[in-house]
Amino acid sequence: MRVIVVGVGEVGRHICQQLSAEGHEVILIDRNADRLKRVERDLNMLCIEGNGASAGILEQANISKADLFIAVTDIDEVNLIACIMAKEYGVLRRVARVRNEEYFSGASPLNEHQLGIDLLINPDQVMAEEILRISKMSEAFEVVDFAHGEVILVGYQVKEGNPICNITLADLKDLRGLYDFVIVAIVREGQTILPRGSDIIQAEDRIYLVVRHKDMAAVEDLFNLWSTAPKRAFIIGGGQVGFRVARAMEKQKVDVALVEADPSRCEYLAEHLNNAVVLNFDGLDARDLLSEGVDTTDLVVAVTNEDTTNILSSLLAKYHGAKKCITRISRPDFIPLLGKLGIDVALSPRLVAANMILRFVRRGAIISVATLLGSEAEVVELVVPDRWLHIDKPLGSIGFPEDTNLGAVVRQGKVIIPSGDTVLDAGDRLIIFSMKKAIPLVEQFLAS
Amino acid sequence: MRLGTIGALLGWLLIFLSVALLLPIAFSIYYDDGNWRFFVISSAIGFLLGGTLAWSCVSEPEMGHREGFAIVAFGWLAAAALGALPYYLSGAIPSYLNACFESMSGFTTTGATILESVEALGPSLLFWRALTHWLGGMGIIVLSLAIMPILGIGGMQLFQAEMAGPTKDRLVPRIQDTARILWSVYFILTAVETGLLMMAGMGFFDAICHAFSTLSTGGFSTRTESIAAFHNPWIDIIIIVFIIIAGINFSLHYRLLSGNLRAFARSEELRFYLGIGIFATILVMFANILFGTYESWSDSLRYGAFQVWSILTGTGFSTADFDQWAPVCKITLVTLMFMGGMAGSTTGGIKQVRILMFWKFTRMQIKKLIHPKAVEAIKLDNRKVPAEVIQSILGYLSLYMLVFVVATLIVTGQGTDIITGSTAVIATLNNIGPGLGGVGPCQNFAGLSDLSKAVLIVCMVAGRLELYTIAVLFLPKYWKDVHYPKWRWSRS
Repeated sequence: MRVIVVGVGEVGRHICQQLSAEGHEVILIDRNADRLKRVERDLNMLCIEGNGASAGILEQANISKADLFIAVTDIDEVNLIACIMAKEYGVLRRVARVRNEEYFSGASPLNEHQLGIDLLINPDQVMAEEILRISKMSEAFEVVDFAHGEVILVGYQVKEGNPICNITLADLKDLRGLYDFVIVAIVREGQTILPRGSDIIQAEDRIYLVVRHKDMAAVEDLFNLWSTAPKRAFIIGGGQVGFRVARAMEKQKVDVALVEADPSRCEYLAEHLNNAVVLNFDGLDARDLLSEGVDTTDLVVAVTNEDTTNILSSLLAKYHGAKKCITRISRPDFIPLLGKLGIDVALSPRLVAANMILRFVRRGAIISVATLLGSEAEVVELVVPDRWLHIDKPLGSIGFPEDTNLGAVVRQGKVIIPSGDTVLDAGDRLIIFSMKKAIPLVEQFLAS
Repeated sequence: MRLGTIGALLGWLLIFLSVALLLPIAFSIYYDDGNWRFFVISSAIGFLLGGTLAWSCVSEPEMGHREGFAIVAFGWLAAAALGALPYYLSGAIPSYLNACFESMSGFTTTGATILESVEALGPSLLFWRALTHWLGGMGIIVLSLAIMPILGIGGMQLFQAEMAGPTKDRLVPRIQDTARILWSVYFILTAVETGLLMMAGMGFFDAICHAFSTLSTGGFSTRTESIAAFHNPWIDIIIIVFIIIAGINFSLHYRLLSGNLRAFARSEELRFYLGIGIFATILVMFANILFGTYESWSDSLRYGAFQVWSILTGTGFSTADFDQWAPVCKITLVTLMFMGGMAGSTTGGIKQVRILMFWKFTRMQIKKLIHPKAVEAIKLDNRKVPAEVIQSILGYLSLYMLVFVVATLIVTGQGTDIITGSTAVIATLNNIGPGLGGVGPCQNFAGLSDLSKAVLIVCMVAGRLELYTIAVLFLPKYWKDVHYPKWRWSRS
């Protein structure tokens, strides 16, 4: 596939890296020569310097032969215009990143269908949605929905003294009783392990489970974990993300306190929020944070534009007894570090946005994709094609590709947690946990 | 301050009222009560005075806020003085001050009377009483704006000085058209109520007089016993419904008539207004059963609801002598007297929106004690209320209390007892009508001293124009740099 990416910020870079690694032809357009040079050195792709919305540059990139066009510069208008141009050149699919909400509204006469854009993506909105999803599980650091929410993938950190510590997965299988779940991966000291029956769960491991949504409570009970939605939340940073999270949480009757340092922004927030308490002080002001009760909240969401503020205020809250924190960090390189510091969930808005774009881009055989932070694995949702080679054979005998783990099978709306005897059928949706490098293998395997 | 403009516009206003004075003649001739000649004389006096003023003062092309205040304030005083003439000339009310009280009570839609027996006035004077309510209800200045092109200049200043609510909703770009819309809604509702009352068994004369009094939330009846004289539950119900309607912002009615249901459903003030009224009705209903005022629940509801809504909106009709009710009911009604209906309605009092915002402000202050660094916005209908509006409401409430205290001091200083004195001020300042004790629903204001009556006349007009318009006249600074009028006959 031939892909043109306009704009080489964090989002663009991440997308290029992924697509290029998967063997696609990527052409990158950006105005900044320095940044381009660095990317060109690191990644294997063609770079063109110039304005992505100009016809000359686009023709230079041979746009008429491109299958996919992704515009992710920092300027909304450039992205929109570039996508409109791409449509005129006959590119099949077009993705634009747009931050300004005013361009977004469905009621406006210039909506994405009119403009011929297949996916409009707002990083702030995606980030807020991600935070809300994770917030609902107070112990989980990662939650991804599959099959319209029927199946979920949850990530937990196993703490010292948990009953599932130091037993093999095979023994755990006997313990699980009626409830079906599959442990699809264990992340131990930065290494992702796709576990077999003989592997042992250790304290401080991060484990990923695939489980039916309705069995969630029972499974958590078994694992001695709790997932209650937060009753009190503290949001530090009243930017677009903080505002969206606060607005959604107050609708869910969560007691929300929103901290913002800029007084005029506070006025805006107070006007547009109903029950949330808007507090005007700096997110690093420990005395004010404590006097407002940050130490007794269920959830702290630190989403200012400053990574340092986010990290420090999360650490402060955790130190004083907040149950869980979600921290925004714009430099993804630091994410592996934060787990060690005691930050439960670190999210990079750009990675989140890039993942969403990748999910859309890969929409072929693959229905949806989730990239897991701090791990070199992905979860994909695939459909078993008609006339597949291995239909009607038990799973144990068909030799699934290496480095993958089948988490769940969804057949006509019903969820099956697979075992060696499960037989796959055409039209089944498979939820597969896989190392990134093995994804093409999985696709080939299913195409055979 | 340009006296020329003020004089010219006052003149036109008097001419306009002189025309209105001719309307009762039709009833006088039809019922043959012989009072028609007094209306002709009054109208002629008004026409002469108004004509002279309008002709001799040269109006200047510009009008500011100051002229607006003066025209509205003096316009109302002049209207009361002119409207008193038929009562005085016909000898129905021998004292001119009393006649002025009755007339001002009419124009300000107060409904307080100094008459022992209302029926003795005769049909044409009764119609004039009701007509003053109706003209004053939506505002005489606003009506003049709607129909007289001469008042085109500075219309906004006049409109704001008379419709002084804290929230402004301009329905259409031109203020004259807004005035016209409000008056046509008012007219339609009046016609509908007249028809319904006639269907319930009233004659045309009683029906139109009561429709005038209801929609303006005035309270003058054609009977001394007020609505109780009719002994008809249907009439009670029709009047309660229209009292409630009259307490709702007329621009909401307009929106409803033009098909916008959402405006009604969204209005926070409307919910608050209905909530207060329903809560008070239930409270009074239970208290009246508990203290044995009424035997049956249906009676308690019927009389409770009527009195509560009549008092809340400042109408002042009565179907029961609430002065005989239990103290808890009386204090409930006195509290309701202060509240009034929605801003932009024809009611008197503080207005629900001010109380609602004052409550929100108080709640915010309390919340600030717990979260000293919290930033909060006071919102109405999900929109932020600007700080100036909140400040003006706080100022309004303190001025209100000040006027109340000073007026009560003067009235009780004349030897009136506390209940009578204070409720007389409350009932006039809020344009209610009856108070308690000596000015209760079965009594009248005739027993008060002349000074008290004069003070109450000022209270009525100050309450109707929502204080600021009258209060500003008492500022010495307001009278600085007066431009004397340029007379038409002077050459220079």
